[in-house]
Amino acid sequence: MDGRNLMVHIGKRLMLFLLSVFVLSLFTFYISRLAPGDPLLSYYGDRVEKMSPEEREWAEEKLGLKDSISVQYFRWLEQAFQGDFGISYKYKMDAAAVVGSRIGNTVILGGIGYLLIFGLALLIGIGCAWKEESLWDRVVCKVGTLSSCIPEFWLSLVLILIFSVNLKLLPSSGAYDIGMEGDVRNRIRHLILPLTVVVAGHLWYYAYMVRNMLLEEVRADYVLLAKAKGMKKGQIMFRHCLRNILPAYLSVMAVSVPHILGGTYIVEMVFSYPGLGTLAYESARYKDYNLLMLMCLISGSLVILCNMAAQAIHEKIDARI
Amino acid sequence: MNKKKPVLAVVILLIIVAGCFACGFFVGKDPAYPDLKNCNQPPGKEFLFGTDPMGRDVFSMLWHGGQVSLFIGAVSTIVSTAVAMVFGTLSGCAPKWGDGLLMRLLEIFLSIPNLLAVIFLQAVLGKATVVSISFVIGITGWMSIAKVVRTKVRQLKNSGYVTASKCMGGGFFYILWKHLRPNFMPSIMFMVVMNVRNAIIAESTLSFMGLGLPVESISWGSMLSMAEDALLGNSWWMILFPGGFLLVTLFCITSIGDYLRKSGNQKPSNL
Repeated sequence: MDGRNLMVHIGKRLMLFLLSVFVLSLFTFYISRLAPGDPLLSYYGDRVEKMSPEEREWAEEKLGLKDSISVQYFRWLEQAFQGDFGISYKYKMDAAAVVGSRIGNTVILGGIGYLLIFGLALLIGIGCAWKEESLWDRVVCKVGTLSSCIPEFWLSLVLILIFSVNLKLLPSSGAYDIGMEGDVRNRIRHLILPLTVVVAGHLWYYAYMVRNMLLEEVRADYVLLAKAKGMKKGQIMFRHCLRNILPAYLSVMAVSVPHILGGTYIVEMVFSYPGLGTLAYESARYKDYNLLMLMCLISGSLVILCNMAAQAIHEKIDARI
Repeated sequence: MNKKKPVLAVVILLIIVAGCFACGFFVGKDPAYPDLKNCNQPPGKEFLFGTDPMGRDVFSMLWHGGQVSLFIGAVSTIVSTAVAMVFGTLSGCAPKWGDGLLMRLLEIFLSIPNLLAVIFLQAVLGKATVVSISFVIGITGWMSIAKVVRTKVRQLKNSGYVTASKCMGGGFFYILWKHLRPNFMPSIMFMVVMNVRNAIIAESTLSFMGLGLPVESISWGSMLSMAEDALLGNSWWMILFPGGFLLVTLFCITSIGDYLRKSGNQKPSNL
C-alpha cells in the first residue's frame, strides 16, 4: 500500500471513529437525562429536600438544566470540543480533573491484571495442549469451569474473610494507607487481593481459548510433516503452532482491553478501591451528568479503538489473510 | 476426543429445578415469615440450614429463591436470544451498506458500559421486579450472540431453500424461524446456555450492589447480598448454603454448555 492510499485508509477509519463516538455521546446524553432521578441531589446532597421551589428553580438554572435536552447537548458538545467537560456535581471540580485523579489507580489494577491474565493464559493453554487429556489438562479444565461460576463479588468477600478478617495478613480496602501514597510496598499489599479476583475471574476463559486454538493447530498437516522431518515436539509447538495462533490471540487481546479494564468495577466496589469503576457507578446512580458523559466517552472510545486495533492486527500481521 | 455426555450435570440440574418449583410440597416453612425469636440461628434440627438476621428459614428461602433465580436466568436468555436472532438476521440479510450500519450500531451498543445501561434501564422501568430485572439483563446481553447469528446468516442467505422460500412469498420472520434458525441454532447453542449462567450471576451481582431485587423478595442473589454483613457476624451458613447452591447450579449449566460447544476437530492429534 503506498503512502497516499494509507492516508486515505487512516482518514476513513478516523472519520468512522469520530462518527461512532458522536452517536454514542448522543445516545448517552439523551438516555441519561430522560431517565428519572434528581441531578440536584448529587450537587446539594440531602439539602435538596428542604429547598423551596424558587431555590430549586435557581439551582437548576445555575447548572443549566432548564433548557431542552437538545440545547443542553449542543452546549455540552461545543464545550467538549474546547476540552471543557463541565464540572462534576458531586465533587464540585472539573470532571476531567476528577477522572484524572482516579484513572491511575484503575490503570494499575487493570493493567497489571491484564498482563498477568494474558501471560498466564498462554502458559496454561500451552501446558494443556502439550498433552491433551493429561491429568494437568483435565484438572485445569475442571478448576477453570468451577472458577468461572463464582461471582466476582462473592470471591472478593471470601478472600477478605480469609486474609483480612481472620488471618489479618492483607488490608481489605483502599489503594494505599493514608499518607503512604508513594510507598510501593504498601500499594502492592493493597493490590494483591483485588488483583487475585480480577485475574481469577478471567484467566480460565482465555487459557481455555488458547488451549482450543492450539489443539486445532496441532491437527494440521504441517505438524505431521515437521514431525517426519525429525523436529522436536517443543520446536513444533513453539516455532510453528504458537506462531500461527498469535495473530488471533493478539486480536483477542486487543478486543479484551476494555472488557478487563472496565470489568474491574465490582472488584473496586467491594475493596473500596478508588478507581474509575466506582466513579462510573456513582455518576450513573446519582445523575452526575458531566462526569457520566466523560466516563462514557472514555470507555466508549476505548472499545471502538480496540476493535479497530483488533481488525488491523487481523489484516496486517496475519500474512495468510 | 469424544465428549462424554454430562449425565450427572443434567440429573443434578433437573433435581434442583424440580425441587425449586415443587418446594411447596416438601418445605414446611414459609420463607418470608420473620421468626424474630430465632434470628441468626445456626443450622439445627428445627432450622436445617439456620436462619437469617430477620429470622427467616434459610432452607425454605433457598428453594423458593431458586424459582426466582432460575426464572430470571430463563426469561432474560429468551429475551436476549430473540433480540439477537432478529438483529443478527436483519444484519445478515441486509445489503452491504445496511449491514455495515447495523454492525456499527452494534459496536456502539457494545461500547456503552454494561453497568450504566442496566442502571438507566432499571431507572426508566421503575422499581425492580422479577420481570423487569429479567428484561433489563436480557436486553443488555444479546450483542455477542447477534454477531454469530449474522455471520451464519450471511453464509446461509444465498442457499437455494431460502431463495425458494422467498419466491413463494415467505415473510422475514417465517424464513427466520423455519429456515435460518434450525441452521444457526447449533452455533449459538453454547452461547445461549452460557447466557443463562451469566444472567443468574448478573442478578446476584446486581442484588449485591443494591440495584437488584429488594431484600424482601427472595432470590439466591438477594440472599447473597446479605453476605457482607454475614461475614462480619461470622454466620457462615448465610454465605455457604446460598453460594453452594448457586455454584452447583452454575457448574451444571456450564458443563452442559461445554458439551454443546461445537466440538471442532474429532481426529487425533498430529503432535
